[in-house]
Amino acid sequence: MQVWDRDVRAVPTSQTKVASWVSSRRVPARAKQCIFLTMEGGPSHIDTFDPKPKLDELHLQEFQRGGEQRSAMESGKRYYVRSPFRFRRAGACGADIAENWTHLSEQVDRICFYRGCQVDSVNHPTAMYQLNTGNRFGGDPAVGAWTLYGLGSLNENVPAFVVIPDASLPQGGASNWGNGFLPPKFQGTTLRSSGSPILDLEPRSEITSEHQQANLELLRSFNERHASTRANHDELQARIDAYQLAFRMQAEVPQLLDLNQETQTTRTAYGIDQEPTDRFGRKCLLARRMIEQGVRFVQLYAGTWDSHDYIERAHGHLVRSVDRPIAALLSDLADRGLLDTTLVVWCGEFGRSPDNGVRGGTAYGRDHNPRAMTIWLAGGGSAAGTTVGATDETGAEAVECVHHVRDLHVTLLRLMGLDDRKLTFFHGGRHKQLSQFGGEVIPELLG
Amino acid sequence: MWAFEPLDATHAWEWSLPNIDPIDDYFRRNESIQPAPRADRRTLIRRVTYDLLGLPPTPDEIDAFLTDPADDRTAFGTLVDRLLASPHYGEQWGRHWLDVARYADSAGFANDYERGNAWRYRDYVVRAFNNDKPYDQFIVEQIAGDERNAEDPESLIAVGFLRLGPWELTGMEVPRIARQRFLDDVTDSVGQVFLGQMLQCARCHDHKFDPIATRDYYSLQAAFATTQFADRPAPFLPHENQIGFAERRFLEQRRAWYESLLDELNERSIVAARAWFAERQLDSTPFEKLAADGLAYTTIRNRLRGQGISEEDLPPRHAGFAPEHFGLERVARKGLERLSFRLERYEPFALSVYSGASIARGSIAAPIRLPDDRLQGTIDATHVLIGGDPFSPGDEVEPGVIAVVAARAAAPFHLADETPPRLELPREVDGRRLALAHWIASPENPLTARVMVNRVWLWHFGRPLAANPNNFGATGGRPSHPELLDQLALRFIDDGWSIKQLHRRILLSETYMRSSRIAEPSPAEPMSEESYAAFRPRRLEAEELRDAMLAASGELNRVIGGPPTCPEINNEVAYQPRMVMGTFAEAWQPSSTRALRHRRSIYGLKLRGLLDPWQEVFNAPSPDLSCERRESSTVTPQAFALFNNRQVSQRSLALAMRLEALELDQGETISQAFLLTLGRPPTEAEVAAFMEHWRAMTNRHQTLDFQADVLPTSIPREALEENTGEPFHYEEPLEVAAEFEARCLVRGCHATHARLSRSLPRAIQQQ
Repeated sequence: MQVWDRDVRAVPTSQTKVASWVSSRRVPARAKQCIFLTMEGGPSHIDTFDPKPKLDELHLQEFQRGGEQRSAMESGKRYYVRSPFRFRRAGACGADIAENWTHLSEQVDRICFYRGCQVDSVNHPTAMYQLNTGNRFGGDPAVGAWTLYGLGSLNENVPAFVVIPDASLPQGGASNWGNGFLPPKFQGTTLRSSGSPILDLEPRSEITSEHQQANLELLRSFNERHASTRANHDELQARIDAYQLAFRMQAEVPQLLDLNQETQTTRTAYGIDQEPTDRFGRKCLLARRMIEQGVRFVQLYAGTWDSHDYIERAHGHLVRSVDRPIAALLSDLADRGLLDTTLVVWCGEFGRSPDNGVRGGTAYGRDHNPRAMTIWLAGGGSAAGTTVGATDETGAEAVECVHHVRDLHVTLLRLMGLDDRKLTFFHGGRHKQLSQFGGEVIPELLG
Repeated sequence: MWAFEPLDATHAWEWSLPNIDPIDDYFRRNESIQPAPRADRRTLIRRVTYDLLGLPPTPDEIDAFLTDPADDRTAFGTLVDRLLASPHYGEQWGRHWLDVARYADSAGFANDYERGNAWRYRDYVVRAFNNDKPYDQFIVEQIAGDERNAEDPESLIAVGFLRLGPWELTGMEVPRIARQRFLDDVTDSVGQVFLGQMLQCARCHDHKFDPIATRDYYSLQAAFATTQFADRPAPFLPHENQIGFAERRFLEQRRAWYESLLDELNERSIVAARAWFAERQLDSTPFEKLAADGLAYTTIRNRLRGQGISEEDLPPRHAGFAPEHFGLERVARKGLERLSFRLERYEPFALSVYSGASIARGSIAAPIRLPDDRLQGTIDATHVLIGGDPFSPGDEVEPGVIAVVAARAAAPFHLADETPPRLELPREVDGRRLALAHWIASPENPLTARVMVNRVWLWHFGRPLAANPNNFGATGGRPSHPELLDQLALRFIDDGWSIKQLHRRILLSETYMRSSRIAEPSPAEPMSEESYAAFRPRRLEAEELRDAMLAASGELNRVIGGPPTCPEINNEVAYQPRMVMGTFAEAWQPSSTRALRHRRSIYGLKLRGLLDPWQEVFNAPSPDLSCERRESSTVTPQAFALFNNRQVSQRSLALAMRLEALELDQGETISQAFLLTLGRPPTEAEVAAFMEHWRAMTNRHQTLDFQADVLPTSIPREALEENTGEPFHYEEPLEVAAEFEARCLVRGCHATHARLSRSLPRAIQQQ
């Protein structure tokens, strides 16, 4: 496995040195792979996993704000609004969960709910960049890129960091899975549910494999002739290898994406061919297939959860579309013995506010809230069957086990066996890291 | 701290090329390894033409150089002079500068609004390099062009540099944070680009080993506290190219579509409102009166509210809207907003700034114009921000320069011609930046010349003399060759900050002309990373690779300058829905004519939210940060991009047809292909292998039926409606497709056509 190349200037080039370089950055851990379920738009913790009965009491009373107004979302008259969803306690652990998560409620004993996370930004693209890269302003490597940089790839014939966006790219675009200042090989590869899964994967329809093989053969013979007169030209050899790998990927990637190889029972369990679960169900099933094939990091997007109005209808629809697929993914991974080594993360870029500017009716929703959110982890050595941290009585602010998202990043790396303090890359005059300036592990999230 | 020490002028080298070659002497003194011989002329012309123009030399140019009877060094000098005089030189070296300047044609973040007039800055840079604008003047214009000469459109365009970072202000965010984001970007960018100082480290707190204090950072930032955004009137200059202005008609078609959508939705609401009044048997006379005046539904509603009619007695805000209508309304309304930015391409305004008071704004959704009174508003004071947080102001600071740099200078700084030397910048609203710019562009500033010389060296040799071109501070790598760096910097200043003169001094040295292969490679003493005993070949950068393919295929349009054009990019990416705030961005539509599509890559529209994946895979940097040095890595998608990409395949077909049109025999055709692509004739073995391959492929081609590509004239969009979380559908029209020129690759050569129809598959001719 050739993980490192000459371009990674910080990394030694000889194989033995690489092994010690990698091991010096590793810590013992169970998770080898990660599935990151990104709920784009900011799902409401108050309406999903963090019930606030106090809001029933305060419903439509005027919202009292302290401190300086910092955004247009805080202007005008605002009212507390209650959750339109009822809650229950589920599983042996008795986790709080809104009743409309009918399938996920059966999986809560596998889940660690965390209510203490906070972010800096009240705005989508900056919050999304922070969640994905640690840096609000973009341009830094994504979590998946860091993971690859630290752990390398498990299967050379498939991309190691795969992103499946929703119908449209999220705000901020492809920088959300960029390699930043890391070499481009660590960039997330977007797979499409329709069309060619990887850009330019397939030759023009008129060009057959035989035709292409002939062209490649000619190219290879000239490359090798050229190489034979230039000793120790690693870059040239890497280019020759890249063509061979490309040819293999052309064969393997379509296989990987072929959901017809799955049984009808499995397809049904994920909600495929049913509405409204088909779209996300396919992604979740693809994620499991990719984990089996050794993809290191899979990120799936679902959204948009940005329900400023009509939260009952909007969140209701979204929960229906992801509930069954996510529950199926967790139980399928567990059945196949993969959950232990696969860390599953569910989160948005921020939570939502207990108040809204709309009074009465069903039109109300919730605005952005960087001070409180619920994220959850499952598998990969996370603390199954627990709920960690708490928000205040209206869900406005995290008050127990409060951590900045950078600590969540450090914890994710820790679960994957990487130490944020050591997983650094020299760029722009300093050794940069995912947490930006360092952070701490949140021990409560570790199993 | 080496970079802050003054340049030592006491031992200046003697330069008198071609007889005295101090760079080569320097390396011979410092390296024990026997250097490689001078490269042959064929190698040299290819190396230096790509280097200076980013294009391959033509077979004729190669011939002329090979047969030049002058000695190698004289002939090479003539060649360098010819290349430096080429208008394509400014495109190639301007492009390097645009990497550093974090240039893009859009603003990034949630809306990623186009910066319609940013192209005028891009062309300004190209012109500056072509005209060999003295570097000190280039600096002053980019930092303070407006203060230097507000009547000069060129200066107003140049200062757009300050605004090139990603920036927006939406209603969802905090204006003060957005403003601070600009201030941090501009402080850090000026620091990195011109002074090689990574100032952002000093933003939050002092560092033990970093001589730049947090106070310095905010003093420098105070120079920009009165810098305000405006797209200022700036008449088009005679040398600004208006090619492509005809494409404006497509944007007008798009505007008409959005307006018709809004009209339909408005009509829907009015009809629904009438039904609402009727159902409740309420008096609709006031409503009808306003409706008869042709007012929009929302306006009517607001007027009625103004007349004292209560909310309960009015039909709802979006009367008659089903979920998809909410979505469509946003598509149209936001689309019009976006168009107002895109149409700036064709207007005589410059992306620019002025010095004045800050105006309170909640959001920015249209190009900003100059206010009537520049001093109306708040003159912002600058404070040290505790932890970099704009809500935690510490001590107030005055505008100033970086103390440690000024303190070590050999001679006192003169901020402007008249002012006495000092560390403070003016405190007035005007003139802060101009004084700062003069301080930076001063020969006494030890950083400025060193930083630029290092960049130029990097772009010639693929590696810098000081490891981090944007970082000459405590954390940057020390120079591998400090003496050489300083001597070049001294010479650069003495040459009147002439970049072309700097090129000559470097290129005409034997060091640049060396072969890439050492005669006696010694395993005991391999060439170190720092050695210049042999020339290191480099890979073409993304833009060079595309331009070279267009040059080889004969399709390259060599026109200089003008508004951005849209080359073809991967269709799936072009049509991929892309979320922007509250709606979806318009699809990428390739320009209508081949001439526009086949312009050099530097002229391609560069959107922060939609980078050309083909360029990305070949390491074109993200424009969000200043890029000091491009990566050059080998990844598998590059193989896909070269082998399967449609544009690459079209280039190869065009090259094939160009060769066919020459009507040469097979051997000569192969030779010509080698000359056009590799700049050398093939060996006998290569000819034989290609003949064989050609024969096999011709047989295969006869069984093929190539389909001509047909562009869709509209694209179905499925989007999730924010209010309901449910999908909705609409059809986005693709205006340009109707006029997309894609018929024939070879023009007006009937004989060739006849021949081609025998040897090439049908549809190639139709592309």
